[in-house]
Amino acid sequence: MVRAALATKRKIGQGPRPLAAFIPAISIIAASLLAALPVVTTSGWFPDFGFLALISWRLLRSDPWPAWWAAPMGLVNDLFTGLPIGFSVALWTATMLALDLVDRRTMWRDYWIEWVLAAMLIAIDEWLQWRVAAMTGARVPLVAMAPPLVISICVFPLSAWLVSRIDHWRLGR
Amino acid sequence: MATARPGWSRRAQYGLFFSFLALIAGIIVGAILLALSILAPARFESVRGAALDITGPVAGGLREVTATVEGVFTGAGNYWDAAGQNGQLRRERDEMRRQILQARAIVQENRELKAVLQLREHQRDTIAVGRLVGSSLSSPRRFAILSVGSSDGVRIGMPVRSPNGLVGRVIDAGTIASRVLLVSDRANIVPARLLRGGIPVISQGRGDGTIDVRPLEVGRNPFRRGDIIITSGTGGLYPPLVPIARIVKLDDDGAVAMPLADPADTSFAIVEPPYEPAATAEASSP
Repeated sequence: MVRAALATKRKIGQGPRPLAAFIPAISIIAASLLAALPVVTTSGWFPDFGFLALISWRLLRSDPWPAWWAAPMGLVNDLFTGLPIGFSVALWTATMLALDLVDRRTMWRDYWIEWVLAAMLIAIDEWLQWRVAAMTGARVPLVAMAPPLVISICVFPLSAWLVSRIDHWRLGR
Repeated sequence: MATARPGWSRRAQYGLFFSFLALIAGIIVGAILLALSILAPARFESVRGAALDITGPVAGGLREVTATVEGVFTGAGNYWDAAGQNGQLRRERDEMRRQILQARAIVQENRELKAVLQLREHQRDTIAVGRLVGSSLSSPRRFAILSVGSSDGVRIGMPVRSPNGLVGRVIDAGTIASRVLLVSDRANIVPARLLRGGIPVISQGRGDGTIDVRPLEVGRNPFRRGDIIITSGTGGLYPPLVPIARIVKLDDDGAVAMPLADPADTSFAIVEPPYEPAATAEASSP
């Protein structure tokens, strides 16, 4: 990772944390559990924390976990957030696959491209949530999805930064 | 599996291929689960209930903390204008007292009239009293988590109200927590009527905390700002005469209303049995 090479010199005698391979998955489940925050909102404009954490990790590293872990993590997210069961399972696995394909195509990456990619993925997520809600009898106007979309896109850099901090910590850099 | 081909190793190539297959399988399984949960929501009741039992107590514990913090701030705010507030509250209290006396007389008269007509009254009892401890944070759907579950007698389809008005109905019941479909959810349609005049209307959530109300009869817009909407009891799920919302804005053929029981500061929610028990079967699907 280029950004890691630019960092200050490594501390001697400090390796990866124990369970370093599981920390990304654990952090995603923790992000999904944020849905249990004791906030009773009337508008539902909070970002989809689990999904944000997932794409932040996946855009930071190509192999934060074996790709198929996305399915069980999606199931956990569905159960905690109250989305219809199977929604995150399908969406998260499809996201892993899509980002693998994107990785093959892109010649170079920088912060802006990652943000645009994340914005597109978040938009797809919000649009699908809207479709599924419409299918289950809650057809809200599409405009109503704009505020949560903008908020999620603005929160992505923060989540990417947090994830990169966690990554540094787990690898002992 | 970022690169197109991981070198000449057959093992690595197969590994890549199988992880690709696993992803495809994951998408298919997810799509099937999603289709099932849209078409046959009852299938996942127990799983969803179990997950609620995990999130409910977490949210409940944290809720205590935020409630305390909020209480400190609003408590401090109340001291700013204590004298003015005191006078205003006193005036309101006197006004209320007059109205209560009137209401008592009306209740008395009503009871006598009902006895004359020999109307059978529905016994309205409470199944459980809980607190709203959380809500769906990022979704076009409006759900809240209630801190009582099936161990307290809560069943799917039961109406939930607070002292201020109607909150919604139960759609998932865990052992110690349950999920409530709020009246502001798009899929929650409540047969209602206007308190002033009793014109029948339909209330449907807008997904953003407000409610759409439409008159059942097409014609002149019967609403005025400040009107109160109450349940009519039609359909048998919600008990009649529970206040739902107050009109805040008129539009072409209806109005936008704010729920009277704001889930954000409803401290207690009361779970009641369905008004007509036969109605729960239809209401159980979210």
